[in-house]
Amino acid sequence: MTTITLRRSEAGTAAVSPGRNQAFRTATGGLINRQRPLDFSFDGVRHLGFEGDTLASALLANGVRLVGRSFKYHRPRGILSAGSEEPNAIVELRTGARREPNTRATVAELYDGLEAQSQNRWPSLKYDALAVNAFAAPVFAAGFYYKTFMWPAAFWEKFYEPMIRRAAGLGRAANAPDPDTYDKAHAFCDVLVIGGGPAGLSAALAAGRSGARVILVDEDHQLGGRLLSERREIDFRSGADWAQEAVAELESMSEVRILSRTTLFGVYDHGAYGAVERVSDHLAVPSAHAPRQRLWRITAKHAVLAAGAIERPHIFGGNDRPGVMLAGAVRAYLNRFGVLPGRRVAIFTSGDDGWRTVADVAAAGGQVVAVIDSRSSVSPNLRREAEAVGARVIAGGYVSGTKGHLALKAIDVVDTYGSSETIACDCLAMANGWNPIVHLDSHLSRRPVWNEVIQAFVPGALPSGMAAVGASAGRLTLAECLKTGAQAGAEAALALGFAAAARDTLKTDPEGIAHTPLWRVAKPKGKAFVDFQNDVAASDVELAHREGFRAIEHLKRYTTLGMATDQGKTSNLAGLSIMAELTGQAIPSVGTTVFRPPFTPVAIGAFAGHHRGKEFRATRHVPSHAWCEEQGAVFVETGLWLRPAYFPVAGENDWMQTVNREVNTVRSKVGVCDVTTLGKIDIQGRDALALIERACANPFGTLAVGKARYAVLLREDGFVMDDGTIARMSDTHFVMTASTANAAKVMQHLEFCHQWLWPDLDVQMVSISEQWAQYAVAGPHARDTLRDVIDPGFDIGNEAFPFLACADVTVGGGIPARLFRISFSGELAYELAVPAAYGDAAWRAIMQAGSQYGITAYGSEALSVMRIEKGHAAGAEINGQTTARDIGLGGMLAKKKDYVGRLLKERPALTDPDRPILVGFHPVDPAQRLRAGARFLAVGASPSLEADEGYMTSVAYSPSLGHWIGIGLIRRGPKRHGERVRAYDPVRSADIEVEICSPVFVDPKEEKLRV
Amino acid sequence: MSEGMTTSAWRPRSAWAGVARAGRHGRLQGEAGVRLTLGDGMGLATLIAADGQETALRQILTDRFGWSLPEPGGANVVGERGLVWSAPGQWLAIAETRHALDGLAEAVRGLAAVTDQSDARALVRVSGPCARMALSKGLTIDLHPSAFRTGQSAVTSIAHIGAQIWQRNEAPAYDLTVARSFADSFWSWLDHAAAEFGYEVVGTSGH
Amino acid sequence: MRIRCSHCGERDNGEFSYLGDATLARPDGMEADAAAMYDYVYLRDNLAGEHRELWYHGAGCRAWLVVTRDTRTHTISDVSPARDVARTRRTGEAA
Repeated sequence: MTTITLRRSEAGTAAVSPGRNQAFRTATGGLINRQRPLDFSFDGVRHLGFEGDTLASALLANGVRLVGRSFKYHRPRGILSAGSEEPNAIVELRTGARREPNTRATVAELYDGLEAQSQNRWPSLKYDALAVNAFAAPVFAAGFYYKTFMWPAAFWEKFYEPMIRRAAGLGRAANAPDPDTYDKAHAFCDVLVIGGGPAGLSAALAAGRSGARVILVDEDHQLGGRLLSERREIDFRSGADWAQEAVAELESMSEVRILSRTTLFGVYDHGAYGAVERVSDHLAVPSAHAPRQRLWRITAKHAVLAAGAIERPHIFGGNDRPGVMLAGAVRAYLNRFGVLPGRRVAIFTSGDDGWRTVADVAAAGGQVVAVIDSRSSVSPNLRREAEAVGARVIAGGYVSGTKGHLALKAIDVVDTYGSSETIACDCLAMANGWNPIVHLDSHLSRRPVWNEVIQAFVPGALPSGMAAVGASAGRLTLAECLKTGAQAGAEAALALGFAAAARDTLKTDPEGIAHTPLWRVAKPKGKAFVDFQNDVAASDVELAHREGFRAIEHLKRYTTLGMATDQGKTSNLAGLSIMAELTGQAIPSVGTTVFRPPFTPVAIGAFAGHHRGKEFRATRHVPSHAWCEEQGAVFVETGLWLRPAYFPVAGENDWMQTVNREVNTVRSKVGVCDVTTLGKIDIQGRDALALIERACANPFGTLAVGKARYAVLLREDGFVMDDGTIARMSDTHFVMTASTANAAKVMQHLEFCHQWLWPDLDVQMVSISEQWAQYAVAGPHARDTLRDVIDPGFDIGNEAFPFLACADVTVGGGIPARLFRISFSGELAYELAVPAAYGDAAWRAIMQAGSQYGITAYGSEALSVMRIEKGHAAGAEINGQTTARDIGLGGMLAKKKDYVGRLLKERPALTDPDRPILVGFHPVDPAQRLRAGARFLAVGASPSLEADEGYMTSVAYSPSLGHWIGIGLIRRGPKRHGERVRAYDPVRSADIEVEICSPVFVDPKEEKLRV
Repeated sequence: MSEGMTTSAWRPRSAWAGVARAGRHGRLQGEAGVRLTLGDGMGLATLIAADGQETALRQILTDRFGWSLPEPGGANVVGERGLVWSAPGQWLAIAETRHALDGLAEAVRGLAAVTDQSDARALVRVSGPCARMALSKGLTIDLHPSAFRTGQSAVTSIAHIGAQIWQRNEAPAYDLTVARSFADSFWSWLDHAAAEFGYEVVGTSGH
Repeated sequence: MRIRCSHCGERDNGEFSYLGDATLARPDGMEADAAAMYDYVYLRDNLAGEHRELWYHGAGCRAWLVVTRDTRTHTISDVSPARDVARTRRTGEAA
């Protein structure tokens, strides 16, 4: 026996735990590699399994049936299924930073060294203290959260919530950063085949043979679907062999891509699909440079849905006991994994399909103790087969309850006459029919329809370009799977112009699918579970019915049925059918809830891919970035830009000290600031001026060539959109700047104006933000500094190049540049634009030229201080809630032209003289610090909404004045200079008396600007 | 733009300076799956036709430069020179050096606006057996030969960064540009995307 | 969602941004009145069915597009360059 061989191979191990003998492994058979034993542990106990096992099959091989505790009642739970629908066997996989909770043991591929822990139990899985919840079950019935924990309210945070979190938990997330990487990829195809079972393989073959680009996605690591789990024949060879041949043929086709270990989790509009590939989850650690998982966005012209079906459990007392399994899962463990889920197996079926289990158990060496068929009439052939292997046949009966503490020991059976008996068994296989997987075709808000023949929902009207085949279309037989798959694959390829021909129908062995579902047993003994993962019992559905939560969406929310991580894959129809019975309706009349992506849980990391941490979003660097880094600048994120905020020098140990020095140096000597982040737009063409006139609220008709002007743009609703400057380089050529934050928005707006509002204007516009490095050189020595940077021959003196002049110049010996005499700081200032590749050189040249004047680099902090000292509005003031008048720009608005925002800015509320308007503030006590966001109140007024008069928008410590200053919006502000109000900031416990003043704190007569 | 008479002592800084390192990176076994050639010092300019002047513009470009204006989604690039479609009525002119485009604005005056963009982009040539697979991690367009071939171009985004791409040959090799300020972030993504195939960075394709 | 840009072909919807109703015309010129402008800026029909709406291919060719989309199914039946639509409409108004 293989198990003996394995024990021998382990002979050298010091202590072989009892669990290491794989006592439930069959002697032969299965699609596992018995030459490759794999060591793994569950709850600290080491076991062996084989390559090809899932964690679930390896646990069953070692006789481990108890794998978890239920969500609410902490009932012992085992393994129900053999696939991704598993509601019970959810475990924590791996340890440390790689610990992943709520992993389904039924799809976790075994690897050497795998470590898994059960979850939601304390102190141990066998002795779970919170299992007392089961005795308090009446308290925890449906709606218990709503009813029990409502009062007293104060108890919620301190008592109820922590208690519930402890008691009703799932697994624990890792508490260290994820060490793995995740990847994203985009793929395109003609035909996407979802599911690699007999239907999917047939579809992929038919489409692939035509030369179409095909992507075949399957969540399993081995393709074949149910063919791997059933003893079936196709064209006189085993189904598994046929699948292997099909895969080999597909792999030989250059335009076919097979994505195994890949779950197609979402269907989106217009042929877009989401899938996640578990690239490395079957390994202990991803190999070097390989991601753990890869998120695929697939765009397909056609899709063939071959996702299969999920078997339905029966609803009877204690149907959640470890050892009670779906019959198809029992066959999967027997046939695919070579594992006996039990030695004495009882079968509870409502159709012919469940009877297949009889021969499979017997062939694997197990004993079939009984077959209970809820139908009173059973085919004599089936009965004969069962009796031949010594099984009792109970037709017209049902299983009412189960016995055994942590694992199944016996079942209570009620026969057709109502008399009960107990039958000993350690495994019960349930076969109550199959539900086609209608999740994916429902993602686009399409409802499935009821099929009377198979008594299940099947896909309704499908999105265009999608076809459903095989079991997922309700065509449950193998012959139908092969036929419908091949047909749909060929049709999809044909529709796209490929020459696809249908081949001869493949021969399969016969199968019976007669079925009469038993939605729930008449008299269950004990709790009969509908939703295993959320612990919703049939009695909870009854309670919801009694309390009026009868609509299907209400039932779902009230009982949480179908809301767990398995999204009700095994439970939704069961809940529906009971509600249908209680309300006297047909099942389709009750309706279905809506399925939404993802089909199975997807790690957030897979959605993020590369974009996490520092790479969460892209970062933009300014042209002087290298120099700033050399200087140890402190950077700040401004939108996507990383801007130097300030430049500490030796001896400065406080940011404000640095910023004060930078401001003082600019105001007394000279400074340079990288303002490349401003948006820059090149506007040319016959009608360039016309477009500018209509987009901007102030007039530009009088702007001479060689001059720049401040520009204000409104939104059509009358509020300010942005401000900037416009320079006229020639009659038909303008250069416009926009604020850093609004650069993209302004470009988009101008394109809207041009393409949609005024399409007849002949204008050529393009962003030049990236082409030009732009530096503000400001301070009394700005001109002296720039004289050494700009090539000789161009006069930048005040006469030749006055305030608001602009010109094309050259720098560094012939490099084209642009010079603008504009100032944000209020000092004598220029902005020099050079080609970005020369940005680094230009910056260094400016620093060099200015060194004799004591030049400083200044960052965004000093820039901000100086603009507040000058009362210039910026982002805090142009915040989408202010008009031009509010921020003191009312006087410059044009009166004789139409422009965006012209009419609506005149609305009564926006011209109300009582509106808050921008003014300056300084503390009455100069030692006090001001806070942006403080509300203005009359001195002596008690804080209330009615007493509110406006708020402080921006503050700064002004090194020029030696105290804090602020600008803000206050009712009738300009008429109240000299008045005192309170700046009230309860969040930071500040309540400061301030005096209203002009917002221009420094050089109000603009004497420094124009020299 | 001034004529090509620069005698500047100022040295231009490559968009890739401090970002990309020449040599072999990522997986080291076997042949590099991706080959990255850094573009530097090339001349780029946006060309936007004035309303109703496209035919005249087409004629002048053919006569004076031997260029043909590509249709939407096209790229007519021979060697290091040519035009890549960028938007309706808008193209990106490419040349070996920034000064190679000096005469363009004057030649098309009145027919099209010309705007220098030589410094605005970071350009990388992507080739190698895994080039398409690596790019597909960030591009949301289909590069399969049935959808995208030599002489085709697209303005799109790569890893959420705006990009323009055109196919140079059937090897295949692609030229890809992103905005200069994004070079560092883009490269961080490219390194991540190409590492599993192994990639090789070679100097500059310009001068 | 996928949108077939008039210039670039079919692209992922992440390349586009949405603005809204494309059947409204801005009341242009000095003679336009505030009431009409108010309607233009604020009043919208919430259609269940075919809707002509403005989308911007910001991550592509930067063209504004008029997309005809069924709001119930997202089926897109037409995409046209907004500039062409606007020019045609203005020609129609002038006639």
